[in-house]
Amino acid sequence: MGKTAELLPGTLDMLILKAVSLKPLHGYGVLLRIQQISGDALEIPQGSLYPALYRLEHQDLIAAEWGVSDNNRRAKYYTLTAAGRRRLRKETEGWNRLASAITSALNTTPEEV
Amino acid sequence: MLKQIRSLYRILKSRDDFERGMSEELRFHVEQYMSDLVRAGISPQEAARRARIEFGGLNSTQEECREARGIQPFDEFRRQLRHAGRTLRKTPRFTATALITLAVCVGANLTIFAVVDSILLRPLPFPAPDRLVTVFNTYPKAGVLRDGSSTTNYYERRGQIPAFSGLAIYSEATAIVGETGATELVPFMRVSPEFFSTLGASPVMGRSFTEAEMTVQANKVVILSDGYWRRNFNADPLVVGRQVWVAGVANTVLGVLPPGFRFLSSESRLYFPFASRPEDRVPAERHSGGNSKHIIARLKPGATLAQAQAQIDAQNNALERDDPKAKMLADAGFRSVVGPLRADHVASIRPTLLWMQGGALALLLIGTVNLANLLLIRASGRIKELAVRQALGASRWHVVSEVAVETTLLTLAGGLLGLAGGWAGIRLLGKLGAERLPLGADIVFDARLATVAVVGSLILGIALALPIAWFNLRAHPAGAIQSETRGGTSGRMSQRLRHGFIVAQIAMALVLLEGAGLLGLSLKQARAVSPGFRPDHVLTGQILLPRNQYPNWPARLTFNERLLAEISRQPGVIAAGAVNNVPLSGNNGKSAVTVKGYVLPRRGTLRGHYSYGVDGNYFAAMGFSLLEGRFLTAGDSQRGDRVCIVDEDLARFYWPHASALGQRLFEGSDETKDADAFTVVGVVGAVKQAGLTDDAAQGAIYYPYALRNDDSLFVVLRTSLSPESVGPALQKIVRQTGREATITDIRSMDTRISESLITRRAPALLASVFSAMALLLTAIGTYGVLSYAVAQRRREIGVRMALGARPQQICGQFLGLGLRLLAAGTTLGLAGAWVTGQAMRNLLFHVPPFHVATFAGTACIIGLVSLAACLAPSHRAARISPTEALAHE
Repeated sequence: MGKTAELLPGTLDMLILKAVSLKPLHGYGVLLRIQQISGDALEIPQGSLYPALYRLEHQDLIAAEWGVSDNNRRAKYYTLTAAGRRRLRKETEGWNRLASAITSALNTTPEEV
Repeated sequence: MLKQIRSLYRILKSRDDFERGMSEELRFHVEQYMSDLVRAGISPQEAARRARIEFGGLNSTQEECREARGIQPFDEFRRQLRHAGRTLRKTPRFTATALITLAVCVGANLTIFAVVDSILLRPLPFPAPDRLVTVFNTYPKAGVLRDGSSTTNYYERRGQIPAFSGLAIYSEATAIVGETGATELVPFMRVSPEFFSTLGASPVMGRSFTEAEMTVQANKVVILSDGYWRRNFNADPLVVGRQVWVAGVANTVLGVLPPGFRFLSSESRLYFPFASRPEDRVPAERHSGGNSKHIIARLKPGATLAQAQAQIDAQNNALERDDPKAKMLADAGFRSVVGPLRADHVASIRPTLLWMQGGALALLLIGTVNLANLLLIRASGRIKELAVRQALGASRWHVVSEVAVETTLLTLAGGLLGLAGGWAGIRLLGKLGAERLPLGADIVFDARLATVAVVGSLILGIALALPIAWFNLRAHPAGAIQSETRGGTSGRMSQRLRHGFIVAQIAMALVLLEGAGLLGLSLKQARAVSPGFRPDHVLTGQILLPRNQYPNWPARLTFNERLLAEISRQPGVIAAGAVNNVPLSGNNGKSAVTVKGYVLPRRGTLRGHYSYGVDGNYFAAMGFSLLEGRFLTAGDSQRGDRVCIVDEDLARFYWPHASALGQRLFEGSDETKDADAFTVVGVVGAVKQAGLTDDAAQGAIYYPYALRNDDSLFVVLRTSLSPESVGPALQKIVRQTGREATITDIRSMDTRISESLITRRAPALLASVFSAMALLLTAIGTYGVLSYAVAQRRREIGVRMALGARPQQICGQFLGLGLRLLAAGTTLGLAGAWVTGQAMRNLLFHVPPFHVATFAGTACIIGLVSLAACLAPSHRAARISPTEALAHE
């Protein structure tokens, strides 16, 4: 399993949007895709995935449609909506700003003060 | 936002689909996960265990999902709705009482509101209807409050008043329409060319009138109402240019009005030009309105009523400067009043309607207070259950919303029943003759009314929830659970609230009852008024003579002679006569007379008097009393003698100290040459001309029919039989005697009198129905609260009885409580009744605004009813057995 990191609060939504933006996915697929694209570094609590999906659907950031899975079973597939795409872009920018700010803060040496 | 609402709606619509989909989705996840684990070499049992751990509780996940999807509140609402339905079903007696109370109160309010809405509130069916005004002449000091407008007024004013964008004149009448042999009576209007454009309407087909058609030579044109066009011309699209026959003359159809065109309460189906001769338009005719011609106008955008009034006043002043009668007009208080069209049209009925609505609202208030009390009592019974639930974590919001859902469910159901009640009430009003009120034909039961009912019920439900929620929230869980039967402060507070409600209820019922009593007494007084003639056994009917067959007075006189002779030959007929207008027909015009040798006293003014032309034995037929001289006879008419009869009011006014017989007077406001003077040959008793409650001694004068005739007249006959039974014979005689003469409106004088009281009878009847309901509701309320007080103190009573209290003492204690509430309610009601009586003064007739006997009577009735309601619970209290009461808890 390797080393896993706790999810920061508020980041699950962003990850779901990212995962779904690559390709329409069902709920379990979202879980696998997040693990995959994070290099298995992030631990997603399975129980909190669905409330997050339902919340995003309620906010009209993702849309759901019933389809057929790879093993021929009925499954609900999520896709990114236009609003979801805008939100993802904003969240990504925000995250990058935050991350670089924190990185630069943590890399500060005594000489630089 | 909209999208979310739509998606939420989809989910709520198929709630089961949502649940099924959610289960399926979660199951799919778990199974995929398990099969992935199994594929990685983990045993199926171990895989299932891990999946369960990883996923967490399925139920709580589902609940979180529902919450995330925003449907939690709706689920909660549905649950509360089911809960409310269940609790209401569990207490059928309470629920039935509440529903009936609501149905009655809401139904009564809807019924009255339907009338208020159609008569006072709904805009007239014209564009910018609030810009429409009417202008009428008034001579208040001569006793003539409304005289309409004259043709001269119209020609002098149109285009001359800058505040008006349009001004038109109209008159209404009935004509015999159709070709010989197939005639019918059709109500019609004569209108000036601007009439339709002033209202903001225009013919949908053809054109309106032009100036050229305003002369008597070129006025043989007609515009049809949509109804007439459909019924009489089968909606012929080429109707323009076809003919309508009126009294044997062909009129060319110019146009057809849009469907639904209706001017105020008019039933006109045909519209003719308001044609006149040049001599009708001269200054001398300026004050000849006679309340038969009326002016309407439309205010220019930005212009105000006050500006229009100022401009009309200024014009009148300018015109009066060269009027020889200027002083006389000023003495008579002459003025032309500009008033809003609709408000003016319904002014007579407005106060009555508002009072009726007030009464209905008072009834609703009593009913609501009653419900609040019953609900409070119910809430007290559940206080422990509620305390336990609050202790277990039910939120304040939950407590409040649960109450609101229950009360709203109750009021909505009651409101729907009330809607049915309103429907029935409106039909009842129809039976009472509501369509005879101004704009009364528009009273309908429609979606607007249903909306008012539903919205009103919702508001009522929330209003009812307030005291109950307050009570529930104040109940301290710990205290309520500990307390046995009589709780701490909240118990006392709610008790005070309940008792306050009872006091308010008694007071309001008292006010309603007193109001109904005053209206009833007024009606009784009005009915007791002697009309001045003997109305029993008198049958009347209105005859219309076609102008082409009866163009002048000799022809009309001949007709009368033959008709009356034929009628007199009928079995049972005692006397028969004819008159322009019977008393109380609502159409009695006044005009001036000038008495020879009479000098107006300084500050005195010319007076308008009712004037009539009479033929045959009119006075004997109507049962007038002869005070001096003789009646007019058919002979006077035939000879064309210039004689007349006056009534005692007129005689007293002009000749207070001398006999009226032999005095001479002139028609109109000028003394002309002696040959035109009429000699008074008789004095008759005064009769009620405009209505039984008309107290003004205006004076009346009766001329021979030959000298004052028209193409419309009333035939009056006195019979020894029942008057209605003579109706068919009368109809037959008119048909046989007259060439296309028609008779309508055949009614006995008793019926006319009784119908003239409709604006008193209907309110009195409604008010007594309301107060009977209020009485019943008060009894229910008092009974409920006292019963509860007894039940609540069972244990205490038991202890006291065990310690030797006598049953009479216990009974007396509760009766005393009832009496205290009654006394407080009566005191409050006394003040309310006094204020209400003063305020409704204008509706009363010969009844003081505070009628002591009525108040004492109503207080007695309320007292008896409340006492009766107190007795049963008090008696029950006295019979409580100590052992049972103590064992009970």
